[in-house]
Amino acid sequence: MSATGRDTTGPGTAGTRRIEAAFRDAGVTGYLHAADIDTGREVGLRADAPVVLASVFKVPLLVAFYRQVADGVLDPTEQLTLRPQDRTAGPTGLSALLDEVRVSLRDLACLMIAVSDNASADVLLERVGLDAVNAAAADLGLRRTRVEGSGRDLFETLLADAEADSFGEVWERLDEPGVLDRLRALDPVLTSRSTPREMTRLLGAVWRDEAAPAAECAAMRRLFGLQVWPHRLSSGFPFDDVVVSGKTGTLPTIRNEVGVVEYPDGGRYAVAVFTRSLLPNAVLPQADAVIGTSARLAVESLRRTP
Amino acid sequence: MNLVGHLRCFVVVAEELHFGRAAERLGMAQPPLSQRIQRLEKELGVRLFDRSSRKVELTAPGALLLDEARDILARVDRVYSVAERARLGDARAVRAGLPSDLGGPIVAALIAAFRERRPDLRLDLRETGTAEQVRALAEGALDAGVLRHPCAARDLEFGPMLAQPLGVLLPAGAAPGGGEQDAEVDLADLGAHDLVTFPREEAPGSHDELLAACRRHGYAPPAVHEARHPQFAVGLVLAGTAVALVPRAADGSTPGVVWRPLAGEPLSLRTSCAWRAPDPPDGVADFAAVATAVLRREAGMTPLDRAPARRVVPRPSSGFLA
Repeated sequence: MSATGRDTTGPGTAGTRRIEAAFRDAGVTGYLHAADIDTGREVGLRADAPVVLASVFKVPLLVAFYRQVADGVLDPTEQLTLRPQDRTAGPTGLSALLDEVRVSLRDLACLMIAVSDNASADVLLERVGLDAVNAAAADLGLRRTRVEGSGRDLFETLLADAEADSFGEVWERLDEPGVLDRLRALDPVLTSRSTPREMTRLLGAVWRDEAAPAAECAAMRRLFGLQVWPHRLSSGFPFDDVVVSGKTGTLPTIRNEVGVVEYPDGGRYAVAVFTRSLLPNAVLPQADAVIGTSARLAVESLRRTP
Repeated sequence: MNLVGHLRCFVVVAEELHFGRAAERLGMAQPPLSQRIQRLEKELGVRLFDRSSRKVELTAPGALLLDEARDILARVDRVYSVAERARLGDARAVRAGLPSDLGGPIVAALIAAFRERRPDLRLDLRETGTAEQVRALAEGALDAGVLRHPCAARDLEFGPMLAQPLGVLLPAGAAPGGGEQDAEVDLADLGAHDLVTFPREEAPGSHDELLAACRRHGYAPPAVHEARHPQFAVGLVLAGTAVALVPRAADGSTPGVVWRPLAGEPLSLRTSCAWRAPDPPDGVADFAAVATAVLRREAGMTPLDRAPARRVVPRPSSGFLA
């Protein structure tokens, strides 16, 4: 990705000051990078800081999956039978179902992106392989992106670090001083991680058909477009003629979304927003909404005449 | 090589990702800065940055070493600060931060109680907000503090958690129940009033938690004014511009305003002593014990066995890994 020579990623430009103010008003620390997919023009705020991916780890996993499909290593229509007792926990998708299901690999990919299904993601990760995910990221030039484990692994560290027996108990203990700070799942040095800039680079590669062959990139774009969540990136672009595709990531104090915003004039922008709130509240609508607001500020500054 | 000096250059370049800006921050010219980074890379045998004509990026080994470098620099700063204290010899002191809204009588009681317990030590108090205390404790610029929760707690230890219920400060004419001091006010009935409270930057976690709890109990202030000094808040209350949410004043009342408890005690401030872990300097444990006792006695704070359990009913959109 080449910049046009205008450095809008440094501190203190007018655009980034407005974005910083929006994050502050929402009570979060924000990390953002936005890039015009076709020209490389960019806006950033702490764009190279390491960030916790949370469920955004499903994006490099999806790319690695479709690269294996393209290479003939995996058959996307292969059917699996998944028993409820084997499935990773979660509030959506197969994680929420009670009975045995039969499903194809590519439909697992669909549930993993459309509703952030943890059960689907962990089955796919097992088939694709952790090393292959990291190798695909490295091959795409993402040297600071690393997936450390599955959703189930992450849940296990959360319970162990909080000395809790259930997720409910993890939430209950978050106000005790020191508990949040010892959760490895929230430490970008220890858990699955990337940088805002590397995530827009990855999405740009998917939208330019560079992350995999064109057919596989199109399949991936379809899935990002099917994501159901309206409260983050999408909320910043309440326009019927603008397409917002993306993938969220959520853990206590962590709210993320990376995606692509496409305008009818052909302008298309990869945006990655990662936030951390001070409060460990599960529901913080202003922290969700600022992901959309900051993304719109960034995209609008990219759309103004250079 | 002067490894510490070189690491300091490395950290600044890593933070700026721009040699010009980094050189400016370090007060040096750019060519010697570039040479230092090259020497450091040679010494460590890894490339720390990828430099292109337009962009400087941290390499993967660079990112790994950044945390280590910061750790070493923080420890070096601590060595200097310990040395400075040793140089001062018999004038040994405990340097402690206090929030600015504790009030004069509490500060005076704390100093008196510490003098009595440790006459051999000087108590050097600084008016410091929570966010700044956390930074100063980590850097070794403070030995102890009294801070508000929630706050970043890495590498800190805390004394017992104390809770202090908040009530509302109203203009005397507007208070319900006339002269009856304990007439409770419902938070939801404050709806039309602006709120004046302490500046967010002093204790962002506590500030955000207070506003979230107000909304949760039906009070969404049309505007929030930030008052650094409690008397400024009183001014806004007197003028009828806003109400303030504050603990019951220890030193009686200010003419023209009245304090009323809130029905159901929906709001409280959580306060505790804090110090750097492990091995705090001599006197810190005494300060914590004295401060905790004074806050209980003089400020009406009561100990909490543990933080109140947070009740979270999960929703799909905010579930783990949504």
